Amino acid sequence: MDFGLVAVVVGFLLILIGIWGILTQKNIVKIVIGFSIFDTGLHAIMVGIGYLKGRTAPILDSAVSPADALTSIVDPVPQALVLTAIVIGLGVTALMLAYVVRLYDYRKSLDISSYEDLKW
Amino acid sequence: MVDSILLNPIYIIGIGLGTSFILGFFKSGRFQAHPSAMHSERIKTAPWVLMIGALTVMTFISAEWLWSFLFNGQLPQQIYTAGFEPPFSINLLMGRNEAFFTLMVNLVGLLSGLYLLDKFKEMGTHALSVYLVLIMGLNGIIMTRDIFNLFVFLEIASIATAGLIVMTSDVKALSAGFKYMIATGLISGFLLIGIIFAYYFGGSLNIDSLAEANLTTVQGGVFAVFLIVVSLLLELKPFPANGWGIDAYEASPVGINAVISSASAGATYYVLSKVLIITDAKWYAVTAVVGIITFLGSNLMGIKQTNAKRMLGYSSVGQVGLLLVILGLSEQLGNSFKFIIFGIMMSHYLAKAGLFWLVGIVKTGILKDWGILRKKPVLVFFMGTFIFALLGLPPFPSFFAKWTLVLTLSAAGLNLWVGLILFGSLIEAVYLFRWFGYVLKLDADKERSLSTPFYRTFPVWLFGLLSYYIGYVASVMVPGGETLGMFYLPLAFVGFLFIIDRYLPVWVKNTLSMAAMALYGWYYMAGLSEFRMLFAIIFIGGGIVTMIAGYAKSGKRVGFYPFVVMMYIGLGGLLLSENILQFFISWELMTLGSYVLIIRGKKSMPHALSYMMFSLGGAFLILAGFGLAFAGSGVSSISLDILKNVTRYSGLIYTFLAIGFMTKTAVIGLHIWLPGAHAEAESDVSPMVSAILLKAGMFGLVVLMLAMGSQSLGGVSLPYLLGWLGAITALLGNLMAAFQEDAKRLLAYSSVGQLGYVVFAMAFMSHLGWLTALAFALNHFVFKALLFLAIGGVVMRTKTKTMYEMGGLIKRMPLSFISVLIGIIALSGLPPLTGFAGKWLSYNAVIEKGWYFQGFLVSIAGLVAFLYCFRLIHVIFLGQPKDKFKNIKEAPIAMLIPQYILIGVIMLFSLMPNMVLKPIGEFLVQYFPDGALQWDGGTAVSSLGRWSGVAIMNITIGIFGTILIWLLFMSRKAVKVKQFNIFYSGEAPSRPELTHYGYNFFAPYKKAVGFLVQPLVTRFWDGIADILHSISDFVRRLYNGNGQMYAFQVILFVVVFSIFTIG
Repeated sequence: MDFGLVAVVVGFLLILIGIWGILTQKNIVKIVIGFSIFDTGLHAIMVGIGYLKGRTAPILDSAVSPADALTSIVDPVPQALVLTAIVIGLGVTALMLAYVVRLYDYRKSLDISSYEDLKW
Repeated sequence: MVDSILLNPIYIIGIGLGTSFILGFFKSGRFQAHPSAMHSERIKTAPWVLMIGALTVMTFISAEWLWSFLFNGQLPQQIYTAGFEPPFSINLLMGRNEAFFTLMVNLVGLLSGLYLLDKFKEMGTHALSVYLVLIMGLNGIIMTRDIFNLFVFLEIASIATAGLIVMTSDVKALSAGFKYMIATGLISGFLLIGIIFAYYFGGSLNIDSLAEANLTTVQGGVFAVFLIVVSLLLELKPFPANGWGIDAYEASPVGINAVISSASAGATYYVLSKVLIITDAKWYAVTAVVGIITFLGSNLMGIKQTNAKRMLGYSSVGQVGLLLVILGLSEQLGNSFKFIIFGIMMSHYLAKAGLFWLVGIVKTGILKDWGILRKKPVLVFFMGTFIFALLGLPPFPSFFAKWTLVLTLSAAGLNLWVGLILFGSLIEAVYLFRWFGYVLKLDADKERSLSTPFYRTFPVWLFGLLSYYIGYVASVMVPGGETLGMFYLPLAFVGFLFIIDRYLPVWVKNTLSMAAMALYGWYYMAGLSEFRMLFAIIFIGGGIVTMIAGYAKSGKRVGFYPFVVMMYIGLGGLLLSENILQFFISWELMTLGSYVLIIRGKKSMPHALSYMMFSLGGAFLILAGFGLAFAGSGVSSISLDILKNVTRYSGLIYTFLAIGFMTKTAVIGLHIWLPGAHAEAESDVSPMVSAILLKAGMFGLVVLMLAMGSQSLGGVSLPYLLGWLGAITALLGNLMAAFQEDAKRLLAYSSVGQLGYVVFAMAFMSHLGWLTALAFALNHFVFKALLFLAIGGVVMRTKTKTMYEMGGLIKRMPLSFISVLIGIIALSGLPPLTGFAGKWLSYNAVIEKGWYFQGFLVSIAGLVAFLYCFRLIHVIFLGQPKDKFKNIKEAPIAMLIPQYILIGVIMLFSLMPNMVLKPIGEFLVQYFPDGALQWDGGTAVSSLGRWSGVAIMNITIGIFGTILIWLLFMSRKAVKVKQFNIFYSGEAPSRPELTHYGYNFFAPYKKAVGFLVQPLVTRFWDGIADILHSISDFVRRLYNGNGQMYAFQVILFVVVFSIFTIG
């Protein structure tokens, strides 16, 4: 079984669940959670894409010597990307939650339809 | 070349990041000092000063690089991070484009940073830090060549934007920011998937390596390309998936949305342009389609907006749409692409930032409250500058860009694109000019003051002046730009008038302007010949004579003279034009100048707007016609002579140009702007716009018809069609004139009718026809200027234009009476004055041509002209004087002098018609050799008869003199009575004007033929306007303000986009 493929498929499923949450949940906290799931799906896809069957983590230590690294580790680039993406995702989630707090301060409501001030 | 030390561009990023890190050490919160602690103010603004310093250095680095690229032959430089080359590291590129775009971003960042001083004081130190990160992120977006790094910078920029919004203390802004986050979160998610798949299929994250990998040919690679393109497009807020973006425009503080609109949009656009190289032609086409939909859709949404920030948001999105169209068509645009992008981008950048800054100065988004800006005329000037620049009017860069765009697209055969772009521009003009009209006309709240600290007006000034400078740069770069020298000196004088405008009294400026026009005529026009000379006499000579009336005004008349002169420069420019570029610039200058003159009238706001719309619509048709001619002549030249060599599309070119020119002559169907615009204008502006300006359209027709002769479209001869159009216009224009209660409207409608004669006569395409038309054009100028001046003088004294409110003024204003009398005799074509010559010629021409039925309509029109002429003089000057006008004075001497000059001209032409007709006939022979008029001394001989001005004058005077003496003799025993020496019946009518004989003067005729003058045309155009507004109002409900709805629209956009691209 190819774990890479599994990760990609699961990732897409998580993305769909995340989008479903964003589009259907009225509670803005739940919408933020939807985003977290969406992000997690993204990360899973990225890791899955970089996975090569039967190889190990791209960390050069006693187990993997620099000489045979090329043949024994998975692609390190997606792994680096996913770390960055996680950090950015964290930032986005934090900022969204900051919005939630401030919005709640003003209107005491978590329903997204209470915040339709600007339109047309 | 001097070796300059260029700072490494990485410092732009480094300084941005580093400084915002340092800013974190300052105490957070509001750094505004407590009022009691004035001494610590300076220390408290230290963080702001630090940020401004950082932005200054960043701006300097970009500017330094751009300078060396442009002037020192600098080569693009790759900056490798971590000492490795890609794909093992991230690389940044500093090339000419990058230097240009980063300079744009940093400059607007710096200026907005200055502008936002107050706002930052309120928002606190952290806002400074976030703001700096935003600018840094935009720089990164521009410079990076690594697609994942691009994602990071995009995220930084959008998080920073949302971060700035979250710091405001306004719940509306907060909710908008949250929606913005939802949408951008989804979009960046899609981008990330695209990037990882691009890496998987392309083996690299470097954009250049990905371009080599030809992803679109790889199975699965298309999916990556699709996701990357769709998410970058979504970042640019395409219609209709852009509600979140529009809300953010409306929500963010003004200095910040200046950055979003000009810098972010520019940076994101540039990203798309550099990432598109990993795709192929199909994706460019898709981009162009998304662009045009956005351009049209957003501008349509704009017309229903009442809030300035939101409206500017729609306009910004629309402009980005236009940039996308250009990017998508870059292949077809070839070498012109860069120039076009440069022009459109610069205008958008300068104008949009400037307008957003103005919103912050005015401090209200409600468009109808903008009259307050008039407290600072300089800012009104700059607002006009920005609006004209956005719409692509000369002399701004977008004008030259749009000009090149249309010509190039036409040459490539992409006529549909030309049509759509011009249509979208017209819609954009509707709301921008309406807004500008509010600024110029609506009452300002007297209580409010306009606070304009230096740090807020400085950016506006700088970008306003830059618009002109870059316009100049663009004008030099455009093909044919070297021929624009003829505008420099005259326009410099206009600039001079602007500078002195607020300081000098009206008589000084009037004298200066007249002198300048005389010099302009002398130096530029003296070498003209034939048609051009004839029109020069009308435009410049006539212009100077009517301007004498300006001495009747007192005060300073701010904002008048620069535009008068601009209009005449435009009119003169038409005559001096050798190529279509000069001609079109002149046309637009004339339109701009006259628009401002027209809108000065008290109730002119709606009329000026419709004038502008018809003029711009006409101008765009002319532009399209020129584009087709450029393409259809087969020679790559912009000389006006290409019209003679057109081999393709000739019917279409003829139609476009003729309709375009006829928006100015106000042919029926395109005339609805005229009555209001001419009637509501000031008393000395009416003669300028009615007697002079309309002839510009006629000159256009002269140029067109001489170059292209007779053309046909779909088997119908176009001159024949014009003949009918002219005849109908003549009849209906005159009928409408006869039913007016307002004296100036009567004269305005009469101009519609009379320009109808001109079109009719020109359509003959024969010697006599053209002789009639040209002689009539000259006459029409003389008598219409005379009548408008005379009636203008009366209106000045009576303060009303409604005729039945006047009456019996002959005794109080005898000189004006004589003017009107002479004017109407000349107008109605009665012997012995000049009008008769025209009539005699036109009957000859009609008989010769054999257009009897049309000729019949025109003679009826002539009869109707008697009716309104009679009404004009009778109701105003004859009958019983009104009590309230008992002590009214004669019109001011400054108004009378030009009238009597014009009367002198009429007398001269009447006695010696050969003075005018002979030279015109002489040059007409070259074009229409057959059927020329023969001259026997002062007697004209045609194939049908003969006619002598002196003889007619003698006969007429003889007959009328005899009758007059007879009447005097018969009434020698008559008793003179006073006005109220009559029996008074004691009846008090409820509406006295209804019993006035002058009210509804021609009621019986109106019953008979009134159906002909139902305002069908007005209803038609109103209907079009209504439909556009309704569509706009309906479609904008898409943006219902719900964040999930916006998210759904984003997803839907992705789905629909996929169906059309990879489905």
